[in-house]
Amino acid sequence: MKVIFLFIFSPKTVYFCRFCRGFCSRGRGRGRAQGTRWQQGQLKEECQDESEPRGTCMRMCPDRELREREAQKRLHRFEVLPGTEKDRLPRADPARTVKEYSRPAAGKDCVRAHDLRPPSVLLETVCYLIDHVAVSPSLQPWTEVYDFVFDRLRSVRQDMIIQRTSGPECVAVLEKTVRFLIYASYRLRDEPLRLYDPRINDTHLQESLSWLLDCYSHGQHPHQEEMQALGLLYNLGSNRALQHALELPERVREAPAIRLALAVNRAHLERNPVRLLRLARQLDFLQSCALHRHLGACCRDLLLLYSHAYSSRNCRFPLQRLAHILALEESQAAWLCQAHGVTVDREWVVFSKVSYTEAPTKDLRGLHFCELVDSKREAHCCQDHPWMCLRLAIFVDPCIIFPISLKLLIVGGGVF
Amino acid sequence: MNTVVFTKDQMAHITINQYLQQVLEAVETRDGAFCGELLSFKHPHVANPRLQLPNPEEKCQQVLEPPYDEMVAAHLRCTYAVSNHDFVEAYRCQTVVVQSFLKAFQAHKEENWALPIMFAVTLDLRIFANSAEQQLQKKGKGKVGDMLEKAAEQLMSCFRVCASDNRAGIDDSKKWGMLFLINQLFKIYFKINKLHLCKPLIRAIDSSNLKDEYSMAQRVTYKYYVGRKAMFDSDFKLAEEFLSFAFQHCHRSCQRNKRMILIYLLPVKMLLGHMPTHQLLRKYDLMQFAEVTRAVSEGNLLLLNDALAKHETFFIRCGIFLILEKLKVITYRNLFKKVYLLLKTHQLPLDAFLVSLKMMQVEEVDIDEVQCILANLIYMGHIKGYISHQHQKLVVSKQNPFPPLSTVS
Repeated sequence: MKVIFLFIFSPKTVYFCRFCRGFCSRGRGRGRAQGTRWQQGQLKEECQDESEPRGTCMRMCPDRELREREAQKRLHRFEVLPGTEKDRLPRADPARTVKEYSRPAAGKDCVRAHDLRPPSVLLETVCYLIDHVAVSPSLQPWTEVYDFVFDRLRSVRQDMIIQRTSGPECVAVLEKTVRFLIYASYRLRDEPLRLYDPRINDTHLQESLSWLLDCYSHGQHPHQEEMQALGLLYNLGSNRALQHALELPERVREAPAIRLALAVNRAHLERNPVRLLRLARQLDFLQSCALHRHLGACCRDLLLLYSHAYSSRNCRFPLQRLAHILALEESQAAWLCQAHGVTVDREWVVFSKVSYTEAPTKDLRGLHFCELVDSKREAHCCQDHPWMCLRLAIFVDPCIIFPISLKLLIVGGGVF
Repeated sequence: MNTVVFTKDQMAHITINQYLQQVLEAVETRDGAFCGELLSFKHPHVANPRLQLPNPEEKCQQVLEPPYDEMVAAHLRCTYAVSNHDFVEAYRCQTVVVQSFLKAFQAHKEENWALPIMFAVTLDLRIFANSAEQQLQKKGKGKVGDMLEKAAEQLMSCFRVCASDNRAGIDDSKKWGMLFLINQLFKIYFKINKLHLCKPLIRAIDSSNLKDEYSMAQRVTYKYYVGRKAMFDSDFKLAEEFLSFAFQHCHRSCQRNKRMILIYLLPVKMLLGHMPTHQLLRKYDLMQFAEVTRAVSEGNLLLLNDALAKHETFFIRCGIFLILEKLKVITYRNLFKKVYLLLKTHQLPLDAFLVSLKMMQVEEVDIDEVQCILANLIYMGHIKGYISHQHQKLVVSKQNPFPPLSTVS
């Protein structure tokens, strides 16, 4: 059993437990007297024998919730039956309505079997969310798409937690979730905070990722190498992530994707941004998205090192060379230099220890790593990239219920 | 009541009634140390078959008051389980021991005589959690770290009782139990790889006025773990301080512990420029470090990579592989110093460094990277000088271009 939870089927004592990612009965309420600890211990033991709930809801959204949200006019725009949008009470399209995330609360019964979806339905739900919503060119703006998919993926994970799902479906759901969140972290990087909160995205990404890595600890998984590499790149410089990777079995560790990700991390460890940026060119699109959040710091570090090492009067450094090293357009490189107090004189950069400033004087959100990230996107559109949902469809075939339209993926033009 | 004192040998043969009388007396006279022994698995009575009982409850209730009866009954059930090699059951019994102990402990207002009991039962709790987990793993059941995590929760509830004892005077304070529990918790957190949970514990000790008053053994253990934590957080100065303290104050008879401290102290010292002697490595059977040391001092990157690869499993298991990889920077410094000594000039062509790196079979290295490595060394203070891109030269200071490692950073 992957995740062990403790259950008490009395709604008042069930709450969502941060420690075990499940619903359990450990003493949380302050009202509970200290003296009952021992009894709780007994309770726990009894409850462990209780079998975990098994969902019976065969659709993406339980009927009860569908009716309820329809009546309360709480359907998402993407869930409304076409043609009824203007009605007083828009109707739900069962093929597009997905169970929403709702916070577990005292007095709420989260474990009713007909409100929970079994693993196979959860995977179909995720396939629908990614292949039909996230990639859809007609659904705009993408921030809204993100909001919708993010929330519904969260409810999928919640269902998995309650049912203590493990196995290939769980792995597939988490893999798709991680890819989506990584891509979103890149695509939405410049959005204002009210539309996209990188912190929250990061929390969910880390949680899904560590759960996924837990799943990988037993058995064979076809996408393990890819995901381990993504984790290493996303968490560049994290001792924890690196130590985890070092402890992987040699067979896994020797996979090209992981070797490359480890090499990038080594370059970071040795504080060699030149090598890091050069290796970054070899990454594929999604790997670049994962690494992207560190690229700014990496360039900044290079400027810091060079400001000390080239700090001498009459010494100049060609802007073109610097831009090449940083994998930026010349104008962008110059702009970055100036943001950190480094003087740029036409095609020359003049480094100086004293003038370098750590905190950028400008908003760096405009910085775009075309060469390192964006340019790879097109290349991957037509390629059969391992990350694309198409290949995944072979792994656990979602086509039976939701035939994916090949055209949609390619016409969509996006990465999805 | 007649007081009978048994020797440790006799303890292995006494009857259940004699044993219970001993416990009763220890509790009544508040002899924490003796009572602790009577509940500890380090004591010979646990091997006594007459005490290994599956259902000792009634007997215990006849002699002892609650919650002591519950505690002792669970302890005896635990000895029974251990004699059957059932550590999962032993762990379950031991949690009952700790829980009923806590009940008694909380009722002891403004007194701390029971601390030795706490030390004994919590130590065994952790050990049984460990054994139970191994037993479950063998059967392919249970999640790694689950048992230990639950044990940590129990230790935390003991810790809360100790830490919140604000009313008692310093001599009667339960706060004297804090460091022992923290050390036990550290052991668990390091084992299950949840180092972030150490932080609040460290804060609790930092703000405690007893921190330098605990026993040296406890302080050594504490410094060892805090040193390792600092190392993990890349705070090497602090790590060196703590680990050095632990090494210097660790009892000379504990060679195994001294070796364990060295495994972490050595890489930190090396990073700060102090290389261990061959003698020391031999004395503590740490020859895995010998080649690494030599490679770093000689600036031999090739040898360093070989040495790291050769003992990779050992270094990874100890969690020091990444720290040792950081020695590369110092190795570059030593290699480049050789280049400087060979060329005997203050204006060194960058090409010379490139050649030296290629000699060391550094993969796909080019002149841009040479400049970056040099820039890093200059920034860190390992080289005094600057790079001229136009002339493709490193210009080093006429005085002390490669300052001794121990003076840098």
